[in-house]
Formats: sequence, structure tokens, C-alpha cells
Amino acid sequence: MPEPIVQIKDVKKRFGRVEALRGVSLDVNEGEVVVIVGPSGSGKSTLLRCINRLEEYEEGTIIVDGMTLDNTSNINAIRREVGIVFQSFNLFAHLTALQNLMLAQRIVRKRSREEAEKIAQALLAKVGIPEKAKAHPAQLSGGQQQRVAIARALAMNPKIMLFDEPTSALDPEMIKEVLDVMTSLAKEGMTMLVVSHEMGFARAAAQRVIFMDEGLIIEQATPHDFFENPKEERTRLFLSKILHL
Amino acid sequence: MEEHKKNAPGRELSFVVGGEVSIRQDPWWWLVVAVAAIIVLLVMLLPVPFREIVLFARDGILVTMVVTVASYFLILIVGLLGGLGRISKNKLIFGLASLYVEVVRGIPLLVQLIGWYFASPVIIQKLGLWLNLQALIEYRPNPIITAIMAITVCYGAYMSEIVRSGIQSVPKGQMEAARSLGMSHFQAMRHVVLPQAFRVILPPMGNEFIALLKDSSLVSVVAVADLTRRGREFMSAHFNPIETWFMVALLYLIMTIVAARVVSYIEKRSKYERY
Repeated sequence: MPEPIVQIKDVKKRFGRVEALRGVSLDVNEGEVVVIVGPSGSGKSTLLRCINRLEEYEEGTIIVDGMTLDNTSNINAIRREVGIVFQSFNLFAHLTALQNLMLAQRIVRKRSREEAEKIAQALLAKVGIPEKAKAHPAQLSGGQQQRVAIARALAMNPKIMLFDEPTSALDPEMIKEVLDVMTSLAKEGMTMLVVSHEMGFARAAAQRVIFMDEGLIIEQATPHDFFENPKEERTRLFLSKILHL
Repeated sequence: MEEHKKNAPGRELSFVVGGEVSIRQDPWWWLVVAVAAIIVLLVMLLPVPFREIVLFARDGILVTMVVTVASYFLILIVGLLGGLGRISKNKLIFGLASLYVEVVRGIPLLVQLIGWYFASPVIIQKLGLWLNLQALIEYRPNPIITAIMAITVCYGAYMSEIVRSGIQSVPKGQMEAARSLGMSHFQAMRHVVLPQAFRVILPPMGNEFIALLKDSSLVSVVAVADLTRRGREFMSAHFNPIETWFMVALLYLIMTIVAARVVSYIEKRSKYERY
């Protein structure tokens, strides 16, 4: 059994007086797709953001691809291996889609202009919008922006992809196009941690579903067991709220 | 980018580009034409005193332009550093930048100019006596350089605040996204945040330039022979205050309204759609 690519051990994090994470431990294996669900304020986004140190944490350890995230200087090295997709896309507003994909390749990966552009074009084709290369973010729909954002993260050849509620800011008719891209990425064997309440995606693509509440992991199981036979009372209560149909 | 302009002309989301400088696109150029015409007509039809005033003051016009442009260039540098200082997480840098802004903003430019010109040489000379350094004892201020320095210190404080507000207007997610791709703080600032901040602060930056052009007239009190000082010299020699100041005012006006048109042109050129 190889080492898990992400090892989280007893991580604690507080915002002022609020304890966002109260001792979370989680291992993710290479190629695994883990979906994290939980009520708002449960710490799921915070956990994700700790994995590439967009948030700092007070206690515990996180090891990503053999590198320990501490306060020393390897943070940019880890961020190169971990891509993140945000709820609000965060595309660079002053650049075209193509330039969005090329910028970090050029200055972080030090690729030539030709190489970066080739990779960018290929990725835009992969997420289904090669014709939008010259468009600025404001000229794209939400779904298109999020697909560009996924492509931008992939352009760095990350080993792990984090998705922080990638479809929460989208109009309903655009959710599918983003989930399709994510599902095909999962099929290719990408290691993914996804904070999302898209149960269809969890069932189709995840190996594991994790339920978090009040800064703790309450339950984890395969999607089938998680949705059909939740063990914890709190999980059942939560599922009854989001599966309201 | 070129392709895109063609694809989406005039739509709400289309990329806004100013394009050429033409009266049709910017009717305010008519004001420039009108003021220029008045100046030319006065000079041609009433050479005494208007042609004489312009000829007498032309070196002053040049000095006004040099002081303005040189100061503005330095102000941009000070403003960038000051603005970055004002958002720094380092408490010392933040404190120094804030102290600079608060103190300098609270003292009139005229007082600062006079202070730099008359007080700082005395301090330097006293220091020279104390250290027994001949070079410092014999220090005489160069009026233009002292004036440019004083203006830079003063306007740099205002520009720092403009730069700070511009950087803070860029959504936090932009920096986060850049950092999450492995860029350093400096790289993210340079390639992602500052280019977006720059577009936001272009109008106030242009405003500062025009205000600076007018405030440069204050340097006439510290022995700089700018347009205002040359006007005063002409008036004293010929006793015609009405004509002199009318022409000096027109000359300032033509410079400022041309500057305003250029600023507006640059603004149009650099607009882009935000989401």
C-alpha cells in the first residue's frame, strides 16, 4: 500500500473565538475522489483551504505528496502540486481565457510562450470551450468561467485538485457542464477533494463521502452506504434536509 | 483581442476600446480648439502686449512643464511604494507609510515648498559646520530640484492613498487564485493585482496630474522661473495686469484641458469589462 498523497493529522484551526476545525484527521490516496459535505460553517471549506495553506492552522500536520506544510518556505512548491477551484471562479479579470491559462505556466513553471499556449489551447478544448480563448472572463457565462478556472488549475499539472463548492455560484442549467468536466477528470484518475452538495456527482464519481459538522469529521463511507445507510443521527438529519425531494 | 472586437461590436459585453483621438468621439476637443483659437487670435491681432507676453513667458511654460512631468514621474514611484506600504502586513512598514501620509497631507503644499527651500539648506549648512564638511557648509539649494522634491514628497502622499485604494478595490480572490497557482506574493501583485488596480485608479491619477500642473505655479515663490513667475515679472515691467493674467490663465487652461483630453483617451483605451 503506497503512502497516502494527502495526510491530515489532528488539524485545528480557529478564527478568533470560533473553532473552525477541532481536530480533523484524513488520508487521501492517490487517484481517490473524496466528496466532503456538511452544513455551512462546518469547516469543510476551511479544511480544503488548509491543504494548500490559503489558511494557516494552529495545530496538527498536513503532508502533501511527501512535503510537510509548515511555516517554512516550501509553500509555493506545494501549491504547484495542488490546484484549487473556487466557488467564485476568481479568473484574472484583465486577461483573456487563454492568458489566464498561460500566466502561471510562464512565470511559475517557466514554460516558453509557445509551449504554454499549446497546453492552454489543448486544455480549453478539453473543457469544451476552445472557441473562447480570446474572450475576457466578463464575456463568459458562469459555467464557462468555471471551466476556464478548472483548465487554469490543470495547466500547472497538479497531482491533486481541490474543488471548493465549484457549482454553488452557478445557474442550474450550467451546473452539468462543470460537473461533466469534473467527472471526466475523476475517470482519468486525478486525486480530487470536492466540497459540494452535488449528490449526483458524489454517487457517480466519488469513492468516499465525508460528512463534517462543527469542525469535525462525523462520518465517512462509500457513496452508496453514505446515502442509503447513514450511521450517525446528525448525518441522517443533514441528509434529510438536503435530499428534500 | 483584435478578433474579439469585430465579433461583438456595441454589445453590452463588448470590449470597450477608445481608438482614435477624434473630435467626434470626444467633443471636449472643441474646447481645446476654442481656447487655442483665442490665444492665436490675441497674439496675431494684438501683438502688443499678447505676443510679447507669450514670448517673454515661453521659457516659463517650459519650466512649468518640466517641473510637472518630472515631479509626476517621481510621484508615481513614491505613490506605488507608499501605497504598498499602506497595505503591508509588516507593522513597521505600515506605520512609517501611514505616518508619512498623515503628516504630509496635513501641511499645505506652499508651506512645505517654502520650508524645503529656506529651512533645509540652513539645516544642511549647520550640519556641515558640526561635521566640518566643506561641501555641506557651501550647500546652496537648486531651486528647480528643491521644488520638484518638495512637490514629490507632498503629492506622493496623496498618490499613496490612491494606489492603496486601487489595490484594495481588486477582489481578494484574485490574489488567492494567483497564490494558489504557485505565484509568489510579488509575482501575484505585479501580474494580477496591480494591472487591475491601475485601471481603477487611472481617473484619480489623471486628476492628480491636472491638479499638479496647476499647483506647480506655487514654485514661483521659491525662485523658480515658471509661467506664473514670468507673468509676474512681465506685469511689474509693463504695468498691465489685466492682459498679463488673462494670457497666463489662458496658457494654463490650454495645458490643463489638453492634459484632461489625454487622460480621458488613456482611460478609454484601457477599459475592460469586470465581473
